[in-house]
Amino acid sequence: KLLARLEGRSSLKNLEPCLFAEEGSPVHGDVIEFHGPEGTGKTEMLYHLIARCIIPKSGGGLEVEVIFIDTDYHFDMLRVVTILENRMAQRTEEMIKQCLGRLFLVNCNSSTQLLLTLYSLETMFCTHPSLCLLILDSISAFYWIDRSNGGESLNLQEMNLKKCANFLEKLVREHHLALFATTQTLMQKSTNSAESFFSLKLPHETDTDYRPYLCKSWQQMVTHRIFFSKQCSSDNSKGFTVISCHLKRNHVVKRSFSVAESGVQF
Amino acid sequence: MVVLRAGLCPGLTEEMIQLLRASGIRTVVDFVSSDLEDIAQKCSLSYKALVAVRRVLLAQFSAFPTNGADLYEELKSSTAILPTGSPSLDQLLDSGLYTGEVTELMGAPGSGKTQVCLGIAASVSLGLKQPVLFLDSTGGFTASRLYQMLQAQTEDKEEQLEALQRIQVVRVFNIYEMLSALQELRDRLSQQVMSSMGPLKIVVIDSVSAVIYPLLGGKQSEGLAIMMQLARELKTLAREFSLAVVVTNQVTRDSSTGSLKPALGRSWSFVPSTRVLLESKEATWEKATLQRVASLAKSSRQPTGIQVEVDIG
Repeated sequence: KLLARLEGRSSLKNLEPCLFAEEGSPVHGDVIEFHGPEGTGKTEMLYHLIARCIIPKSGGGLEVEVIFIDTDYHFDMLRVVTILENRMAQRTEEMIKQCLGRLFLVNCNSSTQLLLTLYSLETMFCTHPSLCLLILDSISAFYWIDRSNGGESLNLQEMNLKKCANFLEKLVREHHLALFATTQTLMQKSTNSAESFFSLKLPHETDTDYRPYLCKSWQQMVTHRIFFSKQCSSDNSKGFTVISCHLKRNHVVKRSFSVAESGVQF
Repeated sequence: MVVLRAGLCPGLTEEMIQLLRASGIRTVVDFVSSDLEDIAQKCSLSYKALVAVRRVLLAQFSAFPTNGADLYEELKSSTAILPTGSPSLDQLLDSGLYTGEVTELMGAPGSGKTQVCLGIAASVSLGLKQPVLFLDSTGGFTASRLYQMLQAQTEDKEEQLEALQRIQVVRVFNIYEMLSALQELRDRLSQQVMSSMGPLKIVVIDSVSAVIYPLLGGKQSEGLAIMMQLARELKTLAREFSLAVVVTNQVTRDSSTGSLKPALGRSWSFVPSTRVLLESKEATWEKATLQRVASLAKSSRQPTGIQVEVDIG
């Protein structure tokens, strides 16, 4: 089993090199956050990653398994199938089903259920050695509900998410996974001078609409943060931009992509 | 926050609960996240028994993963595409309203949102002979206008009457009435009450901004929490029971770019899967009547920005 895990370890490097600021990413243990307002292509990018993973090696994919935790009830299976059909040379029903067999979906409707589900998924990671990608869309889904349930205490408000973040870190570390999570831009960037001092530490944040609002435990475990935005170009082309930051080494890269029938294209 | 109590699951006795409580373990989450070996020692309970209880609790309260292939099979048989009554609008929506999703119609007052909703109700009720649930929060639902639309589509009086009977209208004037109407719907669908009219596949809500506007604003996040609760309820209903949920919303102008955007803020903007903007533009030649234009603002299936002319009869 360890060999199988090590084999899987090297294979994520070719997942999507355009998304990352430096070569050789992502590696196991990476936590990548997709951040951006609505309609900027985050979910579409996740579908692209899923397709890259579940398509067999003969079709150019990585042939690994993926777990997708959907807290927004947003997952569009028919869209994933369309992307697969457009990318594979062999579009038979059999092939599509074989690919889909590598994808596992879970829906969670509260932060408590998310936490309990993560606990019960632990056994799944042990029994599926080729499962190396965990996707969480989105981790900010319960933000307002948790805030309201927690009353006046910030601690109580953040407690569930903090526990989820801590447990996710443990899962990622122990089972050598890569975690991709999306967060939604729920608030406008603060113009408060106290907060702008904080953002001086990371220069890329000044030109993106990013205002951290999730708990510190989550923010500290993120290794790469990727900002999504729509390209406002004069020739009316429907493009999107990603600004990818490696947080520890402070490398920033900006790339653009468009979305076609077959999914994301850089 | 489920509190542990005797009988919550087999193997969880009152005695166990008292011992656990003495160690500070009160809820299911506390139990599941604690180190069982530690607990077994502290409370002198059997480790095996604790492991068994943990397994049952997790099975009861966590969500189960489904395999992609199984989900695809299920979707193929349960997803339906419902006609809106306007062929050009159907084309914009990639054949029509998909079940399992929330579709949003946004527009300024008078742009025709209610008319489109009535058209959808008429089309599903008359064309597909399926029931429709219409939640009206603005008082804009007029049975006479609906009757007019039905009359335009069929001459047969009996068919018109049947179609009218298939449309259930519930007037809700605040968020709590709306949530309780949705809860009633959920109960009805869960019990699988088979009505003679066939399965319910569509819920039209006109409008969602009318009940949420009074809650927003101010510094408390209570309003946002209730709005997200409504959003969650709509999405889970759509997903779990394969319904097409249609909502209408107002528009506001974006302060920086000047373009129209949906009302209710950023958090709501993530909720619908598909969004259509309705506008009425004055036609300059020939007709003196207003021309209604629908453009696709958000979709996971088609490129955004397509515009069609909509005839709402």
